[in-house]
Amino acid sequence: MAETLVDIAMMHSDTLITRAKQGDQNAQGKLVQLWYKRIYNFSYKFFLDHDLAMEATQKTFISMCRSLAGLQDVARFKSWLYKIAVNYCREEARRRKGSRALSFDIVWNKEAEDSPQWEGSGHRHHNPESQYHQSELSEILQEALLELSEEQREVVIMKEYEGLKFREIAEVLNISENTVKSRMYYGLDGLKKILEKKNLTKDTLGYEL
Amino acid sequence: MSYKPQEHDWLSYLYGELEGVEREKVEQYLLTNAAAREEYESFKRLRGVMSSVSDKEVIAPPIFVGDNSRQVYFWQSSVFKTVMSIAATLLLLMIVGRLTDIRVSTAGNQFTLSFGEPTKPQREVPVQVASINAEDVQKMINTSLQQNNAAMQTSWNASQEKLDASIRHNLATNSGKIDRLVREASTASQDQIRSYVTSLQTENVAMVKNYFELTNSEQKEYIENLLVDFAKYLKQQRNDDLQLVETRLNSLEQNTSVFKEETQQILSSIITTVGAPVQTKETKY
Repeated sequence: MAETLVDIAMMHSDTLITRAKQGDQNAQGKLVQLWYKRIYNFSYKFFLDHDLAMEATQKTFISMCRSLAGLQDVARFKSWLYKIAVNYCREEARRRKGSRALSFDIVWNKEAEDSPQWEGSGHRHHNPESQYHQSELSEILQEALLELSEEQREVVIMKEYEGLKFREIAEVLNISENTVKSRMYYGLDGLKKILEKKNLTKDTLGYEL
Repeated sequence: MSYKPQEHDWLSYLYGELEGVEREKVEQYLLTNAAAREEYESFKRLRGVMSSVSDKEVIAPPIFVGDNSRQVYFWQSSVFKTVMSIAATLLLLMIVGRLTDIRVSTAGNQFTLSFGEPTKPQREVPVQVASINAEDVQKMINTSLQQNNAAMQTSWNASQEKLDASIRHNLATNSGKIDRLVREASTASQDQIRSYVTSLQTENVAMVKNYFELTNSEQKEYIENLLVDFAKYLKQQRNDDLQLVETRLNSLEQNTSVFKEETQQILSSIITTVGAPVQTKETKY
């Protein structure tokens, strides 16, 4: 994953975090701006639902601003922030499970209608056909992610899409590194099986890779 | 080589988090083990596919967080707010009560809620019931029954009279009508009746005549048709018979010719059979 300026800024934001920790609202605002997209995308992949992702993200940052003063080690800000996000995502998922069954088809169709994937991420594909395939593949993958168990899903998203190290994920989830790797292994294996079930083998994907 | 990488080494290697000797071991293992290499490649491919899910663009909304360090005064506390809201409600109730002059009173087992001075309800004239005994009640019942019977009798009489009057009126009307009709019938003259009968007879004669004429012509037509049909039938029958006779004759003729041919064949075969032994005898000698 190519590093952008934002990624670099996120990695070297110790001073910003220290200032935010001391109650500098400007610094807090900048932290929110820096990390909002990451946390939103994590939540979005977790729920595959824009509204739920927005809700979890906003709660995460409100909580971050309120309890930043209690952060002991600035270097662990990333895993600390993801820990808050994971907790809100789990809480939201529990709440939704209790209140209403989230129909996957509805979510899927809604997403497909509301915001075609190629609108937001059309930077690599100039060919409309290739762009279409890319968006279709992206949809299938996100659908497959949603079929994983919650434990496996959060590990796969954090590792594959958020680029956290296994050690950091272990810190976020408060489990051992080996457990994280085990969940990751079974998560990837599960994804492979799901994709095979959807006839997405290496032959059909040849042009995508 | 007995080394086989553990699940966690495997994943660390896949994500480039394995270093040093462990990394070399896994690399060596992959070089020697084709099945493991295939699995590693399949995971790499999967990661390649997964990378096609791109991030969604989102704009961070402004997040306002209340200042937690701010001092919370007594009048901002929830207890104070609750007490004050109850007090305000009570005060409001009192003002509304004062303005609408609400009076609440309880007397005996009565609860009264009224606006203004309660008005005294008009007392009904008390019915003296204390001095009534069983005989009086019986008398009252009897009197009431008598009165009722008398009223019913009167009503029946009135109804009877009305019915009689109505029947009488109807009888008078109907008999008048019947008399008028009889009178009209009797006033018709003898000539009129005769002419009516004559006209009836004439009509009947004409009708019978027409009927017979019509029936005659229909019967005639029917008989004619019947005769024609019968003639056709006879003709058809004759033709059929002729055809039958002709067919029989032909068949007889054919049979005769066949018989003739057969006879000739038999004769010729007899002749040839009779002639043959004579020749063989001749050749023997």
